[in-house]
Amino acid sequence: MNMTTEQIQARAPVTILRLQGDLDGSNYRAVIDRARELYQAGARHLLVDLAGTPYMSSAGLVALHSIALLFRGSEAPDPEDGWRAIRAVGEAAESGRQEHVKLLNLQPKVVRVLDQTGLLPFFETHTDQDTAVASF
Amino acid sequence: MRYNIAQDGKADTRPRAAISMTLMLRIAAEVNNLLAIRRFVQDAAAALAVPAPAIDDLVLAVDESITNVIEHGYRGQPGDVEIEVRRAGETVVVHLRDRAPPFDPTGLPDPDLTLSLEERPVGRMGVFLTRQLVDAVTYRLTGEGGNELTLTKRAVTPQPTSQEIPHEHDH
Repeated sequence: MNMTTEQIQARAPVTILRLQGDLDGSNYRAVIDRARELYQAGARHLLVDLAGTPYMSSAGLVALHSIALLFRGSEAPDPEDGWRAIRAVGEAAESGRQEHVKLLNLQPKVVRVLDQTGLLPFFETHTDQDTAVASF
Repeated sequence: MRYNIAQDGKADTRPRAAISMTLMLRIAAEVNNLLAIRRFVQDAAAALAVPAPAIDDLVLAVDESITNVIEHGYRGQPGDVEIEVRRAGETVVVHLRDRAPPFDPTGLPDPDLTLSLEERPVGRMGVFLTRQLVDAVTYRLTGEGGNELTLTKRAVTPQPTSQEIPHEHDH
C-alpha cells in the first residue's frame, strides 16, 4: 500500500490522502496511523482518494471508520472492535453524513463492500476532486 | 506456493464438463500473504471456468475467512493455512484448513442491519460478508484437531432468458 498526501487550500483547508493498492488486513492499520499523523499535524478535513484501490476487505471498512472517528475528534476504536467502531461512526452520522472525512473515486468492488455492510450512506462520496474539495 | 493441477498429474484431454481438477495452496498464515492468497483463488477459480462475478465473491470470502484465522485463530502465532479449490458440478467448493484452536464461525449470529447502528452487535463483519458472498458455509473439526471451513458457491453463468436470445429474423 502506497500512500501520498496533498494539501489544498479551498474554502476550508483540505488534505487529500491517496491510497494506492489493495486495502486489506495487511495494511489497514498503517492507513489509520497515517490518518492519525495527519490529524495530529493539524489536518481537519480529509478527502480519501481510492482511485488506486481496486479491492477492499472488511479490514478496510475498519480503517475508514477509525479515520472518520479521528477527524471528528474522537479516539479511534480498537480496530478489532468491528461493529463497535461502526456503531460509533453511526452515532456521528445520525445528524447526517461524515462532515470531516469524505471519499473520492470509489471503485466498484469497494462500493459493493461498503454497500453490503450498510456503511455507504454514512460517507459522502465524490467522483470529481474539485467538487469534493469544494464540498468541505 | 504449490499448485496441484489434476489429481493424476497428467494432461487432461477430457471435455471440460468432465474435468475433475483440484488446486491447492499451503502458505504461512500471515497478513502479508493475503495478496498471494487472493491471486491463488483468482487463478484457481478461473482455471475451473468459474464466471468472473463468482470469482470476485470467492476471492473476498476467502480473504475474510483467512484474515479471521490469522487474527483470531493463530493470534500472531506461526501456522499454516491450506486452501483447496475444486469444481463440483455447477458449484465451486473451497476448503480452508488450519491448525489454530478449534473455532466454528458458522455459529455466530449475523448483525441485524435493520437495527440502528447503536443497537447492532459488535464484531463479525468478516463472517457476515462471507455469508453474503457464497451460497453455503460449513465447518468441521478435522481429524488432526484443526479447523476446516468449506465455502460453496454456484458457478454457472446465468442463461439468457428467451427474450434475450437473439433470433435469426432479428437482424
